Amino acid sequence: MKNYDSYQHVRGESLFLDDLTSPEGVLHAAIFSSPIAHGLIKTIDFHEALNSSGVIAILSAKDIPGENQIGGIIPDEVLLASEKVDYIGQPIALVIADSYLNAKKASNKIKINLEKLPPIFDPREAFRNNSLIIPSRTFEIGDVERAWKSCDLIIEGTADSGGQEHLYLETQAALAYPQEGNKIKIISSTQSPTAVQRTTARILAIKMNQVEVDVTRLGGGFGGKEDQATAWAVMAALGAYKMKAPVKLVLKRNDDMRMTGKRHPYSSDFKIGLTNDLKILAYEVTFYQNAGAAADLSPAILERTLFHTTNSYFIPNVKATGISCKTNLPPNTAFRGFGGPQAMFVIESAIFKAAEKLGVDPFEIQEKNLLNEGDEFPFGQRAENCNARKTWNELKRKINFEKTKVNIRNFNQENNLIKKGFALMPICFGISFTNTLMNQANALVHIYTDGSVGISTAAVEMGQGVNHKLRQVAAELFSIDLEKVSIESTNTTRSANTSPTAASSAADLNGKALENACRIILDRIITNIARELKVDDLKRLLIKKNILLLDNKPTEFTWEKLIQKTYTDRVSLSAQAYYATPGIYFNRNINKGKAFAYHVYGTAFIETALDCLRGIYKITDVKIVHDFGKSLNPVIDKGQAEGALIQGLGWMTIEEVIYDERGKLITDTLSTYKVPDLHFTPDKVEINFLEDSENPMGIFNSKAIGEPPLMYGIGGYFAIANAIKAFKQDTNIDCKAPMTPEKVLISLYSESIKQKPLKITKES
Amino acid sequence: MNDKSSPRKFSRRKFVQGVSTTIIGSYVLTPGVSKISEKLEAETKEIASGKKPLNLIVNKVRYELMISPETTLAEVLRNELKLTGTKLICNHGECGGCTVLLNGEAIYSCQMLALDAGEKEVTTIEGLLTGEELHPIQKAFVEHDGLQCGYCTPGQIIAAQAILLKNSQPSKEEILTGMSGNLCRCAAYPNILKSVLAAAGYLTEGTNR
Repeated sequence: MKNYDSYQHVRGESLFLDDLTSPEGVLHAAIFSSPIAHGLIKTIDFHEALNSSGVIAILSAKDIPGENQIGGIIPDEVLLASEKVDYIGQPIALVIADSYLNAKKASNKIKINLEKLPPIFDPREAFRNNSLIIPSRTFEIGDVERAWKSCDLIIEGTADSGGQEHLYLETQAALAYPQEGNKIKIISSTQSPTAVQRTTARILAIKMNQVEVDVTRLGGGFGGKEDQATAWAVMAALGAYKMKAPVKLVLKRNDDMRMTGKRHPYSSDFKIGLTNDLKILAYEVTFYQNAGAAADLSPAILERTLFHTTNSYFIPNVKATGISCKTNLPPNTAFRGFGGPQAMFVIESAIFKAAEKLGVDPFEIQEKNLLNEGDEFPFGQRAENCNARKTWNELKRKINFEKTKVNIRNFNQENNLIKKGFALMPICFGISFTNTLMNQANALVHIYTDGSVGISTAAVEMGQGVNHKLRQVAAELFSIDLEKVSIESTNTTRSANTSPTAASSAADLNGKALENACRIILDRIITNIARELKVDDLKRLLIKKNILLLDNKPTEFTWEKLIQKTYTDRVSLSAQAYYATPGIYFNRNINKGKAFAYHVYGTAFIETALDCLRGIYKITDVKIVHDFGKSLNPVIDKGQAEGALIQGLGWMTIEEVIYDERGKLITDTLSTYKVPDLHFTPDKVEINFLEDSENPMGIFNSKAIGEPPLMYGIGGYFAIANAIKAFKQDTNIDCKAPMTPEKVLISLYSESIKQKPLKITKES
Repeated sequence: MNDKSSPRKFSRRKFVQGVSTTIIGSYVLTPGVSKISEKLEAETKEIASGKKPLNLIVNKVRYELMISPETTLAEVLRNELKLTGTKLICNHGECGGCTVLLNGEAIYSCQMLALDAGEKEVTTIEGLLTGEELHPIQKAFVEHDGLQCGYCTPGQIIAAQAILLKNSQPSKEEILTGMSGNLCRCAAYPNILKSVLAAAGYLTEGTNR
């Protein structure tokens, strides 16, 4: 089924924030931000800037009527810095002018005096300096200390993964209007309307019912607008509130890249112990998360890292410690996978290193240790309806694994300068916000007297197709045409106290709430018409394809007529309903519980061809067997899987976030920060739907799709690593992502990037 | 508040003067029609404001504008003509979001001064429709789900149009080359490629499905 939104997208008619007709008298804002990574603000001189052409006002911390605080999980982040700056690009003042250009020109005329303090950029250095966001956390199962003694091989090493720029094509943007009664309305490009509302109220010292936040659609989010859309929306609101005029704030690409946080880089130490028959007995890991200068969502992201420590594997003895390190970089934030990918990269690195030492292929260790039904995760939950092995076996069958292996080996024997490499990458991803309380949603449904249906939920459409999925849910429940159903903007006056559109959960949570609302109205409609038709047994009545059936025979009541009848009989055609994921809990004191409603499984085969003369590579072939449950919309879900895969491959290979020694982002343009394009896209991508997967915890038995397939991309790193080793067997793969072509070239021909030798404590 | 005047004191007149472009007139393009009085008026205004007159033909409609010389084509399309299908994503000619056709060639409208597009034919995403009928490329993108969030879609479709105008049967390599300047962060690339290949099929079949 085609995505309904496509029709307006291809006509260029979808209205994103910056496409909206600006209101009369709109003012434009630009940000003045910190030029240094760490320091004390001594003086700021706005004089020249204020005299600049078109400038109306410059707002700084002292103009905030309420509390200068935007921290969500921990109150550790100011909206506008006034005493101390903690990263380059930290907002200090908001320049408001008659045009963006004038605001920007004026912001360049602000003079600031700072006293520099020594900055920290490396998470391990931050840890040594006790510069932490929260105390460290440890998830544990079994007893690693005892288990080491039973291991035949123990290997220790480090694995580092880099940051990732979201690069949502629509930059951060907001438009705020003053309203009567000291109220404010904000149109925001946010995944988190309630967070914008709550924070605006806090900053302006007004009540939440004085703030209305509206979201139509986003030109991409990927997590980058979960927490970090808030600051810009609140600044626009502050401007509108003080100026008594509409204020628009749209970040330019370069500012967006400079001022916002990214996927967290992690540096991790691992220790893995196996028996001679390749069973992983014990795994110990310490994650050093580079959180940046404020908490943002880092504690929650760190927690998900710990939840996904063992990926798709059962390991009886695990000790995983997460340390959130505070550094002088923009606060890093949510990005598709939310800490999970970083954890999975480490366990896959550990397996790769162990395989290297044992002289086996990594897939042998992977296969031996895949999760089985009932296996316990380190946080106490057991694997239910576990499809880890099912997707693995199905994939191997689909690609004719034995033959594929031989073909690749033969190819490498015949070719000297082009080498192929492959990897298998299983994934296991937990679905639910790990903060249990966030797993709630509400939906508001109106049926209008012409039979058309309007739906409001908390779900924000950002390309993941949630609008279409919700439309499908209502159309199917009412059994009416899709065209009769419309999804309204996400608005805090219609959907209150909502969780962000995040954690892959929007279709599940909002879909279930919507299902409940539709059923309430449906029940009223049927009960009412049963009285009219003098039918006692309501089961004899059914709406099917826009017609009311009685004993499976059409009645005179079309959907429209039925709605008219319900209305004239004074029965409500509106309902609001609620959903909270049942059966989940998590005890943070002992780090045990059933944190997830269910898990998503899948396995990918990734093949690469490496040009060993130039170091450039191409991902040539990807085949995936993915557990979609009973997919609600195979077209949308397949697109999500492909897009996530390619984004994950980008993170592991060509996307490299680089800060210089002062903490200034060097990769702040699209020419210096490379993201996948059509050329990068694998020659072949084949997504197979795992058959016979049911999931009662998902909407209509489907499974969440947004994040999990991103982690297939990790296989890209190891496929390239294997191709390098096919060229030069003794190359030491350093387990530092991304594997950029320049790094590949160096590793093919130079000894210089070798990491310190592995410490082997016991050999088989 | 650091305020050089009170909030409401900024003058509406001054504000309007600050807007860089003024539309003088627009009419459907009919060759041979000349509007001498408007041209004279435009010249008078040019002397007064430092602005330059621009005759721009967009989607077969002729616009006579007065613009500041530094205004880019993308800015004129979005801000003055309200053709917001054309997106400004990087404003550096690195992403393809602002791709439009200029006399049938794909160009980055953020990298072209509007004055340089004078008297040339500009086609934007809004110009592909025939009445309410989707262009075959637009149909192909719907049919093959060649998009996700939709933000890059207008640029992708126009880039595809430029390829297909040159060669209605492009090879896969020609498509890769022609479209590699158009980024899609949702990475809908497999389906974008399928859409362009399908569009080529529709166009050669002439079925306009």
